[in-house]
Amino acid sequence: MKPLAGVRIADFTLHAAGPFCTHVLSQLGAECIKIESAARPDIFRKPHPVYGRMGPASFDQVASNKLSVRINLKDAKGSALAKKLVGVSDLVCESFRPRVMERLGLGYAALAALKPSVVMVSVSSSGQSGPDSHFAGYAPLFGAWGALGYLTGYEDGPPVEMRHVMDHSIGMNAAMAAVAAVYRLRQTGRGGHIDVSAREVACSLVGEALLFAAAGGEPARIGNDHLRMAPHGVFRTREEDRWLTIAIRTDDEWRRLVKLIDAPHLLSDPRFETAPGRHTHRRVLHGEIEHWTMTREAGEAERRLQAACIAAHVSCNMEDIAHDRHLRERGTVVDVEDMSGNKRAALKAPIRFSKSEVGMTRGTPRLGEDEDYVFGELLGLSREDREVLIDQQVIY
Amino acid sequence: MTDEAIAPPLAGVIAVEISRGVAASHAGRLLSTLGAETVLVEPPAGHPLRREPPLLPPAHEASALFAFLAAGKKSVTCDLTTQAGRAALSALLAEADVLVHDLSPAERVTLDLDQQTLRVRYPRLIDVSVLPFGATGPKADWQAEEINLIHASGEGFLLPNGLAAELFPERPPLKVYGHFAEYQGGVVAALGALSALVGSAQGGAESVDVSIQDATLAVGAFALQRLGDGSLEHRRTRSFKYGGVLECADGYVELLTLEERQWRGLIELMGRPDWMLDPALSDALERSRRGAEINCAIRTWAREQRTADIVARAQALGVPMAKYASPAEVLSGPHERARDLFQPVEIPGAGCLPVLSAPFHVDGAALFLRAGPPRLGEHQYLLSAKRQREQPAVVAEVS
Repeated sequence: MKPLAGVRIADFTLHAAGPFCTHVLSQLGAECIKIESAARPDIFRKPHPVYGRMGPASFDQVASNKLSVRINLKDAKGSALAKKLVGVSDLVCESFRPRVMERLGLGYAALAALKPSVVMVSVSSSGQSGPDSHFAGYAPLFGAWGALGYLTGYEDGPPVEMRHVMDHSIGMNAAMAAVAAVYRLRQTGRGGHIDVSAREVACSLVGEALLFAAAGGEPARIGNDHLRMAPHGVFRTREEDRWLTIAIRTDDEWRRLVKLIDAPHLLSDPRFETAPGRHTHRRVLHGEIEHWTMTREAGEAERRLQAACIAAHVSCNMEDIAHDRHLRERGTVVDVEDMSGNKRAALKAPIRFSKSEVGMTRGTPRLGEDEDYVFGELLGLSREDREVLIDQQVIY
Repeated sequence: MTDEAIAPPLAGVIAVEISRGVAASHAGRLLSTLGAETVLVEPPAGHPLRREPPLLPPAHEASALFAFLAAGKKSVTCDLTTQAGRAALSALLAEADVLVHDLSPAERVTLDLDQQTLRVRYPRLIDVSVLPFGATGPKADWQAEEINLIHASGEGFLLPNGLAAELFPERPPLKVYGHFAEYQGGVVAALGALSALVGSAQGGAESVDVSIQDATLAVGAFALQRLGDGSLEHRRTRSFKYGGVLECADGYVELLTLEERQWRGLIELMGRPDWMLDPALSDALERSRRGAEINCAIRTWAREQRTADIVARAQALGVPMAKYASPAEVLSGPHERARDLFQPVEIPGAGCLPVLSAPFHVDGAALFLRAGPPRLGEHQYLLSAKRQREQPAVVAEVS
């Protein structure tokens, strides 16, 4: 049994952030019905030359584990069909620009009038209200608006673009808020509208820096430094482009590190005697650490540091991740089949329950693959009714 | 707003938090902001994050990190090394719905807070463990801080991209500012707690195991998907062909044009220069091939522009562009103000300051941040008072 078994989602989301929200909820047990049309298929069904993909994707993580139906929402009959689907759903999720759902006759007020207990989750770049609510954006813009991009970077360099992790962070926050609303629905019968603002998610990832600034502080880009810890950074190893991260938290860890790297002169150096001293002189100190890491393979150094209870980890690329024993044993990385039957690594939703199950039971759906079940069984449309709607390009 | 005040989603839920790190603290904070009563159980010396920088000026007494993470919570102190402290905690847990913690598996056994004991003593309590690599698996007892975790989950290796990677190709990869991975762990832990709460109606209470590495990898899923497509992503090759971070006369903006109409808008924004009207550039693939040349021209143009001016004009033309806003600019932003993103609360040792509520509205308004961070042990009375719950609690079976 999965924890959200019995929750049904009418999923109007497109692209990355919104679909990731509903994908996670589907892995937690919600039945997620993805709504698209041949006129407006989701981005993974089309070529994406920016990523060098010249045809549709054979696997899309955020679309996986969902059911697929076609509805042409620009047609009034399509809007009516979508409302029927909402009528048998608990959650409605969408990621259009604000006011598009209203134009389609599917805004929160209209749906709540139809079904007061509906929970709607809207994901947009700046939220449903406020002077910038009409702004267009993608992940790097959300990071820029929300100060996360401004604060990330080398101290003498420019801000840094946030990429897909930004979209998915938004989706994860949306999923979390959605389940809070589902909890209230189950306890009280009350629905509600969750309005997730992508730029505010970026802000929430630097909430402490924003508070520091509100008090008159000036948070700035600090590269890989930490405000307290030193040594703290990303170090070269003897392998090309193979990096090792180390963070020293206490005097005790510092002494263990010095012993491990066999550099007793650091212990007698008055600059490094106290934690504030090590922080002040961290550039020199990091050079000393790198003398040692440069003679080691990253994995070997990582294991030796961890054996001494020191926080250290290799900087992993996705090949490392795909084959990582820990991630495989936790069931975090799993093998799935793509549309052509090829095996590939994918991610299970990152929560382990002692009793409940979680995970994907099916791959990426073909457009309209589940219309017999959704239109036929759930909505009770006859084969003839559906043929008419197909001829009218309502189911399209 | 309607006349009737709508209760926040988690009204009536009681969460107990035993934390040291940012991830478990963030989970407790999210539950609290959504309406739960989150009781922070601190050691007599106080939560370690109370002393973590940055400290708020001018007094430099209160931690901005702690104040952000603990806003709205209640605080009790319990010395869990003593029998009396453990008994006080037990009374709290008997009335709670959720326990969020970052205790190691060994500590849990010592404190009688392991899964089996919790199930027997508090049959309706959901417990959520939030650890760097989770509670099970070969790395369950590994040490890690933010910088280790963001690299253990793959995103660290992929940063920086774009302009910073171009300017400093030989430098080590770069972490995201602050506590990015730990915050992901917090969001996922809150999601796990809430999913278990919903699921408990059918299957009863259970234990939840969240790994910060797993949570951060989850938001980096696209890079693993790319690997399956045959591309091993690297920070130096995943930059956009053109656009990205642009330096202007008074700061930086981000420009990203993925669709044809956005490219056409950019031509208008830049004043229809001759080179952009080259018919060959109407083809997206040709633009991709000539990205470096295009970017050179865009960057030269941008250096003469002022950020507020071009962002306003770009958005009016449908060109996705945003200023790299500083924290001060975000705090004073008219949009953020209109949405009540920051709400004034009292922070002991620092005065009344605006603290971020939550990155979403519920029922048409921002969630209300009911208080600042608590003083140490401010709500000690909770350890002796019998709670008045909104809903009748299932009587706990105390062994």
